[in-house]
Amino acid sequence: MALRVELAGRTDVGCVRSKNEDAWGYDAEAGIYAVCDGMGGQAAGEIASHLSLEAVLDFFRHGRRDGKYPTSLDLVDGLSDRANRLCNAIFRANRMVYDAAGHNPENSGMGSTIVCVLAESEGVSLGHVGDSRIYLVRSGEIKQLTADHSLVMEQVRRGMMTLQEARTSTMQNIIMRALGTEPTVVPDLEDIGVEKGDVLVLCSDGLTRHIPDESICDVVVQTSNLDQACERLVEGAKDAGGEDNITCVLLRCLEATPSSNGH
Amino acid sequence: MAKVHLKFGQSVLKTFDLPDGASLKIGRTSDNEIHIDNLAVSGHHARIFWDTDHFVVEDNNSLNGTWLRGKRVPKATLYHGDVVLVGKHSLGFEDEVRRNVPRPAAVEEALAQQADAPKMQETVMLGTKEGKGRLAQRIEGADGHESPSPMRAPVGVLTVVEGKTDQDHYMLSDDMNVIGKSEMASIRLKGWFAPKVAAVINHRDGKYFVAPSEKDVKLKVNGEDVSAQQPIKDGDTLEVAGVKMSFSLAE
Repeated sequence: MALRVELAGRTDVGCVRSKNEDAWGYDAEAGIYAVCDGMGGQAAGEIASHLSLEAVLDFFRHGRRDGKYPTSLDLVDGLSDRANRLCNAIFRANRMVYDAAGHNPENSGMGSTIVCVLAESEGVSLGHVGDSRIYLVRSGEIKQLTADHSLVMEQVRRGMMTLQEARTSTMQNIIMRALGTEPTVVPDLEDIGVEKGDVLVLCSDGLTRHIPDESICDVVVQTSNLDQACERLVEGAKDAGGEDNITCVLLRCLEATPSSNGH
Repeated sequence: MAKVHLKFGQSVLKTFDLPDGASLKIGRTSDNEIHIDNLAVSGHHARIFWDTDHFVVEDNNSLNGTWLRGKRVPKATLYHGDVVLVGKHSLGFEDEVRRNVPRPAAVEEALAQQADAPKMQETVMLGTKEGKGRLAQRIEGADGHESPSPMRAPVGVLTVVEGKTDQDHYMLSDDMNVIGKSEMASIRLKGWFAPKVAAVINHRDGKYFVAPSEKDVKLKVNGEDVSAQQPIKDGDTLEVAGVKMSFSLAE
C-alpha cells in the first residue's frame, strides 16, 4: 500500500531557456513520484523527459492493474522487491527513450535524468540516474541521499577535485549516466525508512545550482504549507538567475515505515 | 575608517563601519553582521577581515561564490572602491584610510576587462556527439578571452609513445582533460575495449595531476600503479588502457 504523504510540486522554465525540458509526475495510489530533466537538441530534451516519466509511471499503473510487474530475471541482491520494481521501471524508461532516439535522427543524443521515489507503507525506495537529486529533511537537518552522476562530482568523490573547484568548473554540466543514451543503464537504488514528518525533496539541477542545501532546508522547515515552500524555492532559484529549468517536488511523510533506520 | 555599503540594485540597504582590525561576517543566517535574506546566499557565505595592514574578503565555500572584479574569488585583497558581489546583492567597499594606496597593475587590468559571470551550460551526456560539439565550442570560447598572459604559463603536452589514439600530441590547455574513448575526451583512445573515461588530468595553479577515473582502470606513472590523484612533472611517463604517453611542459 502506498505510504500516506502530502505532496507539492512545481516546475518552471526559468529565466533564460525558451522551453521547459523538466517533467515531474506521480501516481498517488502506487506511491510513485518522479522528476526528470531532459537533454538534447530541438524538442528532444522535452520528449526524453516526458517519455521517461510516462514509462516509469505506466510501469506502476499497469502493474497495479494487472497485479504483476514485468521483472528482469536478475534481481539486484541486497535490495527489497520494491527497489527491484523501481529498477525495472527505470530499465523500461531507458529502453523507451533509447528506442525513440534511434527511430528519429533528429532525436539522437537525447536523454534524461531521473530521480524517483516509490513510497509504500512497508518502506521507501529511491532510484536515480544523472544529476537530479533527492534530499531528506528530518528534524531540521538536510541530507542529500543521491550522489550526482556528473563528471565533476565523481572527481570530488575520488578526492581529485575540491568541491570549490567543482563548483567553478566549466564541466559541471557533463553527466556520466543518463536514461536513453545507451541500450542499458545502471541506476543507483536505495531502500530507506522514513519517520513521520520527514520531507523528501526531489529536484532538478536548476534548483540546486542556485540554492544552497541549507537554504532548501530552512525553507522546508520554516514553511509549513508545502505549496508555498515549493513556490519559495522555485522563485528563489529564479531570483538567483534561473538559468536552467527548475523543478521541485516535496513529499511530506504522514506516517512512519516499520524500519525507520538507515538515515 | 573603512565602510561597507550593502546594496541591492542601486539602493543602499545598510552601511557597516569597519574600523582597522575589525571583521564582518556575510551570510543568510541572522548571526552574520551583514545579513542577506536571500535563498541563493549561503548561511555563512563569506567574511571581510583585517590582515596586518589591509582588508581581505574570503569566500566560505559558498555555492554561488563571492565575486570581485568579474571573477569568483576564494580570497582577495580589497581596495578602496571595490564592489563585492554576493548573489544579487553587492557590497561597496570604501576605505578612506587607504584611499590613495595604488592598486597593483593586475587589479587595474582585471577591472578593465571584467568578464560576465559564466553562463550555466545545458546538461550534456558524456559521449554524445552533441556533447562533443558543445564542449569543443566552449573550449574555443574559453581560449578566446581567458588567461591574459598565455606566454608565461607552461602548458602540459602529452606525446603518444605507444597505442591507438586519434593524435600523436595533445596540448593540455583545459583545466580538466579526459583520456578515454568518449567522444568528449580530449585524448581519445581508439581500442575496442578502451574505457569511456580512463583517466583525467587536472590542471590547477600551474600544476598537473593525473588520476584513474574508473575503479577497474589501471593507470601507471613511470611504471608504478596509481590509484589516487598524483602530481605529474616534466618527463613522466603515463600508461593507461594500453596507451603509453610521455608528459612534458612546454613554454
